[in-house]
Amino acid sequence: MENAFKWLDERLGLNEIYAEVLDRQVPKVNWWFTLGSASLFLAIMQGVTGIFLTIYYVPSPDHAYDSINYIMNGVQFGWLIRGIHHWGASLLVVTVFIHLLRVFFYGAYKYPREFTWVTGVVLFLLTLGMGFTGYLLPWNQRSFWATMVGTEIAGTAPGVGGFILRVLRGGTDLSAVTLARFFSMHIWILPAVAMLTVGTHLYLVIRLGISHIPGEDE
Amino acid sequence: MNEEQKKAYKKKYKEAKQEGVRFWPHIIYKDLLMSFAIFLLLVGLATFVGIPLEPKADPSDSSYIPRPEWYFLFLFEFLKFIPGQLEWVGTVVIPGLAIVALFLLPFYDKSQVRFWKKRKIGISIMGVIVLAMVGLTVRAVATTPEMEETTVASSVREQVVQGEDLYSVHCVECHGPDGEGGEIQGVEGLEGVTVKSISSRDEMYTRSDETLAAITNYGQQDLGMPPYGLAYGGPLTKAEIEAIVAFMRYTWDDRIELPPEAVIATLPAWEEGFVPSYEVEISRIVKRNCFSCHRPGKDDNNNYLMGSYEEILTTGDNVENNLIPGDLNSYVYQTITGNPILDPDTGEVLIHQMPLTKLMKEDYIKMFEAWILNDMPETVEEAEALMATPTPTPEPTTEEATEEPATEPTITPEG
Ligand code: HEC
Ligand code: HEC
Ligand code: HEM
Repeated sequence: MENAFKWLDERLGLNEIYAEVLDRQVPKVNWWFTLGSASLFLAIMQGVTGIFLTIYYVPSPDHAYDSINYIMNGVQFGWLIRGIHHWGASLLVVTVFIHLLRVFFYGAYKYPREFTWVTGVVLFLLTLGMGFTGYLLPWNQRSFWATMVGTEIAGTAPGVGGFILRVLRGGTDLSAVTLARFFSMHIWILPAVAMLTVGTHLYLVIRLGISHIPGEDE
Repeated sequence: MNEEQKKAYKKKYKEAKQEGVRFWPHIIYKDLLMSFAIFLLLVGLATFVGIPLEPKADPSDSSYIPRPEWYFLFLFEFLKFIPGQLEWVGTVVIPGLAIVALFLLPFYDKSQVRFWKKRKIGISIMGVIVLAMVGLTVRAVATTPEMEETTVASSVREQVVQGEDLYSVHCVECHGPDGEGGEIQGVEGLEGVTVKSISSRDEMYTRSDETLAAITNYGQQDLGMPPYGLAYGGPLTKAEIEAIVAFMRYTWDDRIELPPEAVIATLPAWEEGFVPSYEVEISRIVKRNCFSCHRPGKDDNNNYLMGSYEEILTTGDNVENNLIPGDLNSYVYQTITGNPILDPDTGEVLIHQMPLTKLMKEDYIKMFEAWILNDMPETVEEAEALMATPTPTPEPTTEEATEEPATEPTITPEG
């Protein structure tokens, strides 16, 4: 056992990772500082439940709705998986936003954590983008019309609006192409970008150390 | 920022760290506790609140009030305050500027002041923005009109039941309670037209679900079948049409079996001594066989509505004669047994046999007979209580009642 660990550690540097990531000295902080890791936890939950959902979900206008029905009624614990994914999405937006507010409130975006903040804003927008693209997938009345209006709003941009609208919808109407686009955005493109950004964000948080709660003289 | 400020900050930070704790286990412990609490909250929400059912997307139903995900509501509401020709300012310019301002925050706010009391302006601006977002969200929730109750079928069973109801209301008057077709009676413009069966093998084996839905959606306008889809000016949404098609397929296509959990109890065959209740048997018979003509919005039915227990007893031009407790001279019984009600003076037909074209099957008529003889019980409990006590057997008056009119020359509607 011990030998095996030694062998691995020699090659992987487990002890170093432990020392760098876990066994470090940090300032005393309060419960508001748990919201970043709570966001991370929720994001991981979204990933895990989302992967389960793609097993049964069919991204086509003819079958999307029924496949969701099947997940809710036919698959063991399908309702739980989808329920967690559904509520997790809302909760993620809330925690990320409060996390942003706490960073703002303590001035933690200032030197030397400016870039952490910038990656954070990217994450905030990605979270909203995930919500927007995911909302269409059940292909029900609510999701259809919300997306109709949402894409119309993007289409009001002066000059380029029409172009943006067509790119989002994959044509002038909301169609099977739109669903395919939103689906691939939701399960491939945005998560890939988000993973890279979360990685950078966490690297910076660990490298710079968590900020301390500013005293009255700061 | 100059090097001195940087140094000063680093010194402060080092001090704070020295008074601090180890990340493992002190901070991790809090983080995990928080995540666990959130996990419990999620499972609770998924289990006890669930996800609201929504009908399937229907591009033709533009009456639907769009509702974005709740965290976009504030933007939606905000746009209402922007005059039309400046819409793009509200949709693009302001959100765009807000995002840029958020990105660049650390680059224009370069002061090294961090304690909140010393950053009153910044904190106030952010506070006002957040309050405005919350306020707009609340306003949006409060002002969006309640959604019209739409019943959404979440299972095959519910879908078939919903389809049966819709079929009873919309299709029975032309296609008959079992899709058998025949001569149409009492439908303006199609009087006397004969329609073929839509429940036959010929029909079911050669028409796919898509075809049936398309026919219902567009109608067969040249042949007299009206369009039912919203897109063609009809009353039914896509989901409702799909429910009707599911009902047709599962009830009439002998190749298809309902999944066992979806089977709707069929009415039991008539047995001597059984007392039916309105709740279970009568309402179902009425729904399929009478309701298409006896519902609000149909004129020419002597104002006899048959949508509920209440209505069936208290409406109609001849309300006092329609259902008389224990008396088979009740018009309902007379008409469904093929005895039209005649004007005593002129011998003219006042009320035809019911339903107009074809009498119901024997079992259903027996159910009505027992129901009327037992004073028309509403609930199953009432009916069962009556069954325990010996049922009154049809008395001589019954014989008379059923026989008498038959001896007179009657004009049948077909004649
Ligand atoms: C006003 C009378 C009327 C009503 C109400 C009506 N139909 Fe029809 N339907 C017709 C006529 C007429 C035809 C033409 C077929 C024929 O002549 O036999 C037809 C034909 C059809 C056909 C068969 C077409 C084919 O070629 O296979 C179907 C299926 C059908 N109707 C379904 C429905 C459904 C479902 C409803 C209820 C939503 C409905 N109809 C309501 C009059 C009506
Ligand atoms: C095809 C349409 C149609 C159907 C189906 C139908 N009715 Fe009628 N019903 C009428 C019309 C039309 C009248 C008005 C009298 C007349 O013209 O015969 C009427 C009148 C009546 C009346 C007299 C009401 C009064 O107060 O004067 C009774 C009772 C009645 N129906 C019972 C039934 C029952 C029971 C059923 C179901 C088994 C049924 N009807 C099915 C069309 C229909
Ligand atoms: C999916 C989204 C996000 C995840 C998973 C995430 C994760 C984390 C974690 C785990 C921390 C450690 C400190 C803490 O928990 O508070 C942190 C810190 C930080 N986050 Fe985020 N974050 C996200 C979004 C954001 C957003 C939207 C912003 C702001 C625009 C932001 C800005 C910051 C900054 C500046 C820090 C350093 C704070 C300090 O040192 O006190 N993050 N983040």
